Amino acid sequence: MTPVKPEAMSALGELLGAMARDVLGNDVLPFGRLTKTHFARFFLLDSAQAHDGSQLPAYLIFMSDIDGRPEEGLAELVDVGGNGIDHLYCHCIGYPTALPVSRQARLEYLRAHIVRADVNYVNTIGRTVQQIRGEAEVREAIEDFLDRGGPELVGGNPSAVRAAIREFVTSDGRLNWALTPAPAPPLAYRVRELVHFAVPVILGLLLLPVLVPVLLVWLVVLRLHEIRDPSPLVKPDRAHLDQLRALEDYTEQNQFIAAGFLKSGWFRHVTAVVILWLVGFGARHLFNNGNLAGVKTIHFARWILLDGAVRSVFVSNYDGSTESYMDDFIDKVAWALNAVFSHGAGYPATRWLLFGGARDEQAFKGFLRAHQLPTQVWYAAYDQLSALNIVDNARIRAGLHGDMTELEAQNWLRLL
Amino acid sequence: MAAVVVTPAQDLADLQGLLVRGYGNLTSACFLLLEIDEPAAARAWLALTADLATAADSRPTASSLNVAFTSSGLRALGLDSTVIEMFSNEFVEGMATPFRQRLLGDTGESAPDSWAWGGPNGAPIHVAVMLYAVGEGALATLRDAETRRAAAHGLRTVSILDTVDLGGSEHFGFSDGVSQPAMAGLGRPDRSANTVAAGEFVLGYPNQYGLFGERPVLPRSADPTEILAVDVAGSGRADLGRNGSYLVFRQLSQDVRGFWRYVDRATRRPDGTSDPVRRTMLASKMVGRWPSGASLVVAPENDDPSYAKFNDFLYQDVDRDGLRCPVGSHIRRANPRDSLDPSPGSSRSLEVTNHHRVLRRGREYGNRVDVATLFDEVGDDEERGLHFVCLNANIARQFEFLQKTWINSPKFDRLHEGDDPLIGPRQALGDTFTVPASPVRTRVRGMPRFVAVRGGAYFFLPGRRALRYLANLAG
Repeated sequence: MTPVKPEAMSALGELLGAMARDVLGNDVLPFGRLTKTHFARFFLLDSAQAHDGSQLPAYLIFMSDIDGRPEEGLAELVDVGGNGIDHLYCHCIGYPTALPVSRQARLEYLRAHIVRADVNYVNTIGRTVQQIRGEAEVREAIEDFLDRGGPELVGGNPSAVRAAIREFVTSDGRLNWALTPAPAPPLAYRVRELVHFAVPVILGLLLLPVLVPVLLVWLVVLRLHEIRDPSPLVKPDRAHLDQLRALEDYTEQNQFIAAGFLKSGWFRHVTAVVILWLVGFGARHLFNNGNLAGVKTIHFARWILLDGAVRSVFVSNYDGSTESYMDDFIDKVAWALNAVFSHGAGYPATRWLLFGGARDEQAFKGFLRAHQLPTQVWYAAYDQLSALNIVDNARIRAGLHGDMTELEAQNWLRLL
Repeated sequence: MAAVVVTPAQDLADLQGLLVRGYGNLTSACFLLLEIDEPAAARAWLALTADLATAADSRPTASSLNVAFTSSGLRALGLDSTVIEMFSNEFVEGMATPFRQRLLGDTGESAPDSWAWGGPNGAPIHVAVMLYAVGEGALATLRDAETRRAAAHGLRTVSILDTVDLGGSEHFGFSDGVSQPAMAGLGRPDRSANTVAAGEFVLGYPNQYGLFGERPVLPRSADPTEILAVDVAGSGRADLGRNGSYLVFRQLSQDVRGFWRYVDRATRRPDGTSDPVRRTMLASKMVGRWPSGASLVVAPENDDPSYAKFNDFLYQDVDRDGLRCPVGSHIRRANPRDSLDPSPGSSRSLEVTNHHRVLRRGREYGNRVDVATLFDEVGDDEERGLHFVCLNANIARQFEFLQKTWINSPKFDRLHEGDDPLIGPRQALGDTFTVPASPVRTRVRGMPRFVAVRGGAYFFLPGRRALRYLANLAG
């Protein structure tokens, strides 16, 4: 997240526009050459005036969902971008002025501007780009094999058909890697996650006698805020909507960014920080396997508090149209949206944190659209796959390995 | 505070009849598409039309007239643009925008550029007059009288869309209109799984969320003679939307011979001869019903006309994997019932599905195909299809969602590819249809597009008080 020189905003906007015309091959950052990136985007967050009158800077924000550690992703970014990194970041405050900048200096600049997301939702933790693409190819190949309908498939029982499929995969040198199951997460990782999960839970239980009265007082104060907070019905401006819609529905996936101010006052700030921590905890430990409380169409999502928790940004990559995305929010996870978004200024009125809010359909849709920002440059590594496709492809690949009963084989074949 | 009125049952005289019935007994119909040339004269026309418009309070036995307006039509009548902006975006912007082309699949030969009406290259469509009568003779009399009356009031006839009565089936040869949602507290009661709030279709009443949809509510000063009803949502304003609805109109051209030729070739025996049994089976798998209308869920092996009107079924318990009625079939997409997330088989899933229902009021047009040459390489290429008409209170959440997320999406439910095999637009990944089977599925590929869009527009079907209000607008 890099602050933009005020005089460079329009030039930067134009450069991003040029990149968007050829996301995969542009000469600033040819995304098609990134190997560990699931999704990535550049967008501009405008400068704004805070409640206390202070001026908040404009930012160029780069976000990506990558395999491995952030440093590895940065290194690949700098290597693929080369001089393009200079062309882009010379519009930003603090970037070295003597061009070309050395690889090391580029890395240092970017590293110095890394911001940790407060909530990071990953559909399925640990599944790499390479695995997702590979498993999709394996499924395609199996489907084509079935279409050819060889004699070994006719009149067979499920086990016989499965055996024929396994034989086909075994015989193909480009596919037979899939016979080995995907590696399980390393033991050290699992232990670390367990500790990360258990310690706060145990601490929470121990502190319960203290937490309960605090919670009750907090709830009453919250309710008073909820009654007082304004929640105007907003109908988004048509020009703004047109700008957003021009970027939507070209593939099966879409991108989303919403940004806005938090409600003023320390109470909302503290509440937002605590809740985001809880949501981040839940995303990491509870909703880490293809299902965000009933919504199975989100690949990656993030919440970030900016400028000392004055502004917040929500970003996601999801399947389907914006309308269906917002309907999912309203119909399936309104409580979770309310818990997080209700600290944003202008959000539809909630009751006791979880109720109301997003269930006010027109008000909620108006709020989201009005706070949505265009994604200037968006890259998606597998834009013809839905999140559910990816889950099913992994199950198909997993089913190539090991023994199955007749019933298990039948259920596995239903994935095809 | 007075109790909130939740259904229009007490106000049926104000609803146009199309909201509660499809006029099935009035077997002949046509639709006049008009352009307003002279606003003052058009308002005088509307004053009379408001009285002529058939209301919902009784079932007409001889003829019926209903009338609807596009947003440009309301503008041409003289309605203030700040009022027009209070309607939903979809209605204000219209059907033919680049964004909606992607959403609705109106690309290639279905692009608005080449539409016969409603597209950017044709005359503007302001008004739709929908006429229904018993028999073609009576309809012709009504049509001639109405076109003359329109012409006399500065309303130019852009197009007259004729229809044909195929006796309850559509051109592909399948019984149509079996499944319609029921409105709570209005009309014939149905099981709860198929019953939704009246506000999902009629503006000015609570919808499935218990909320009031987008519609114009005016300051009382804008309605000095108090023609309009007061907003029951409690704003104290005059409700111009009350008892109205948004009407989606699309002319869908059907390539009937293309459909049957494709199905015939896909099911031939190894020796190259046609297999009529498998052919009908595949076609029915694509539709999700047999030609009689019987659902594959209840009649999986053979057509069973005793189930022709049977609609009381769900998917999850009996047919989770689509072994009977394929997941990708037309009717399962058009109404997935209990089969989708968040919890397939539950009332929660039914409730979510019921946020996306529409009332269908379409009529077929064009001559019935000659069955004798149905599978031949050459034969008639006459224009025929469906004048698709549906009513809903929220075009984005109902019609557009249904079209984009269910009909057009190759990712519907858990699918990897394939759009609606019957009416899908064949965008990327669209041309495959998977037929779940044991031990393993079969699929057909390379499906061409069988349905193309020839015209379309979003209309507002006002209540009769609203018609009178519009007729009384100042010049």
